[in-house]
Amino acid sequence: MKRNLIIVGMMVLICSFSLIFVGGCAKEQAIRGDVELAQAQPSAEETAQAQAQAQAQAEAQAQAEKEAALREKALKEQALKDKALEEKMLAEAESFKEIYFSFDKYDLSPEARDILKNLADWLLEHSDFEITIEGHCDDRGTIAYNLALGERRAEAAKGYLTNLGVANARITTISYGEELPVDPGQNEAAWAKNRRDHFIVFPKKQ
Amino acid sequence: MRKTTSFLIFLLIFWWGSAACAKVYLDINSPAFQKFPVAIPEFKNMGKAEVEDNLPAWFADQLSQSLKITGFFNIIGKDAFLEDQGSAGITAGEIDFSNWSGIGSDLLVKGGFSYDGEKLAVEFRLFDTIEGKLITGKKYWGKPEEKKSMVLKFADEILMALTGGTGVFDTKIAFIGKKDNSSEIYTINFDGSDLVKITDYNSLTLLPHWSPDASEISFTSYKDGNPDCYITNLASGKIKKISSFRGLNLPTSWSSDGKRILIVLSKDGNENIYIKHLDSDKLERLTDDRAIDVSPAWSPDGRKIAFVSNRSGSPQIFVMDSEGKNIRRLTFEGSYNSSPCWSPDGTRIAYEGSSNGCFQIFSIGEDGDNCMQLTFEAGGGESPSWSPDGRYLAYSSMRGGQRRIYVINSNGLNRRVLPGIKGLDSFKSPSWSRHLNLY
Repeated sequence: MKRNLIIVGMMVLICSFSLIFVGGCAKEQAIRGDVELAQAQPSAEETAQAQAQAQAQAEAQAQAEKEAALREKALKEQALKDKALEEKMLAEAESFKEIYFSFDKYDLSPEARDILKNLADWLLEHSDFEITIEGHCDDRGTIAYNLALGERRAEAAKGYLTNLGVANARITTISYGEELPVDPGQNEAAWAKNRRDHFIVFPKKQ
Repeated sequence: MRKTTSFLIFLLIFWWGSAACAKVYLDINSPAFQKFPVAIPEFKNMGKAEVEDNLPAWFADQLSQSLKITGFFNIIGKDAFLEDQGSAGITAGEIDFSNWSGIGSDLLVKGGFSYDGEKLAVEFRLFDTIEGKLITGKKYWGKPEEKKSMVLKFADEILMALTGGTGVFDTKIAFIGKKDNSSEIYTINFDGSDLVKITDYNSLTLLPHWSPDASEISFTSYKDGNPDCYITNLASGKIKKISSFRGLNLPTSWSSDGKRILIVLSKDGNENIYIKHLDSDKLERLTDDRAIDVSPAWSPDGRKIAFVSNRSGSPQIFVMDSEGKNIRRLTFEGSYNSSPCWSPDGTRIAYEGSSNGCFQIFSIGEDGDNCMQLTFEAGGGESPSWSPDGRYLAYSSMRGGQRRIYVINSNGLNRRVLPGIKGLDSFKSPSWSRHLNLY
């Protein structure tokens, strides 16, 4: 509706500009011959009418512009609100960003289960979000076996979430094996940090 | 890949009298093996034309370096030489062998060259200094730029005469070089020369394996997001995606005809082993177990497949026939054994096993007997790969704090590190090519 108004306003503006333009032309022609001038020159009445019309259109456009600005402001405010909400949600998701595993194991510890329960609740509450589960290992052992182990770790978390009612389609898994450690150290503290599932939640793609 | 060398090879002298038929080679794979002591004095310029000034020393140094890399030779230092290198002759009649046996060098290599402005002619002679006898001699003609090829050819002659087999100078090792979150495939010659970057995807690229004719390398890469399986043709640089199922697509061993590869897929939930037929795209499933089954390796005769499975609780090496039947467990010692690789003669399997909390390289008889630990170092050892002659193993180790590729003789001796690449963090997953006829 508002867009139509703007288009109408624009058209009227264009019309009034063409009138002025035609007037200008006529003036130049007047120097060359009065007959043409007489024919081309609008009557005083017509001029007054056109002016009134142009004024009305200008007012309409000003009104339309004002409304468009307001609308844009509202949209921006909404976007900011959405972003803040998304950030807040993602900040909440930080609290269940990672779970940890024992060496060569992919079974879920009681701590991991607690975190997954919170994660499942959050996902059930925020149905507009999806999740990727990355499975990781420490760098001891074989590259290929660790790729499999990482996959098992990711699938273990996925299985737990789906059991708690999170839709299968919202969860993707990927294993990076031992390739992306968070701590490159060669000690138990570093290895323990690296044997993990990493959760990434993101708004559902439209 | 194959370099066509144009130089002519002539047998100069090849006589070892009656000893030739009673030749007894030393067991170079025995842990008790003593390296051959060899002296290699500067080569003699026998021509009139001047070549590069340093050529007499270049030949001696290049041959010394090549023999040293094999791990079977102890090169006698020049400081010990009693003979004046500049003036002495190079034939048996001109040599005072006591000058060499006296400094503990059982073997002596003498050489000479001449350059006529076009062709370089090089003579090599290997002597037994105790007996005062020629063991083998060769003369090569070629372009000056083929001089390294000539040296490697004669190094092969020396190895053949003393050990009954040639060297692996014409082989390459493919490996992964990693920096932060990205890793690429590289290849390097056995002697550490000619480093080539094969992939450049700025992604995670893993598990390189040479095709049997060494014209292609299979690998897994995350370049499109998922760990998919690819084959790259080294001559054209073209790559082909051969498997991109959901989950893991991990290619490993090639069949000896190059038409099939063993591949691990997790498309149905569990990691299982399949044969992928490259011509028809057909998949043949070999294992169907709820456990993790990975790292399959074909025996050289193609009849058996070694693989890793945690079906008995922890990762262990199993062997099955090539149809996936008759599965038997091979390793029982230790809680983690993986990365099986068959020796080229099919008698042994090298693998990595956990030992006192650290992974080390072992080899075990194909029947499960006679297990040997080959590495003992603090940085451990992972993912072994045999050289095509079975005399060496390449593996990766954290020795020295950074993961690097090492080569050892198959008896565990003579460790040497392959050159690293500046700017990269770690090097792993070595895969040894077959002979490439590089020179």
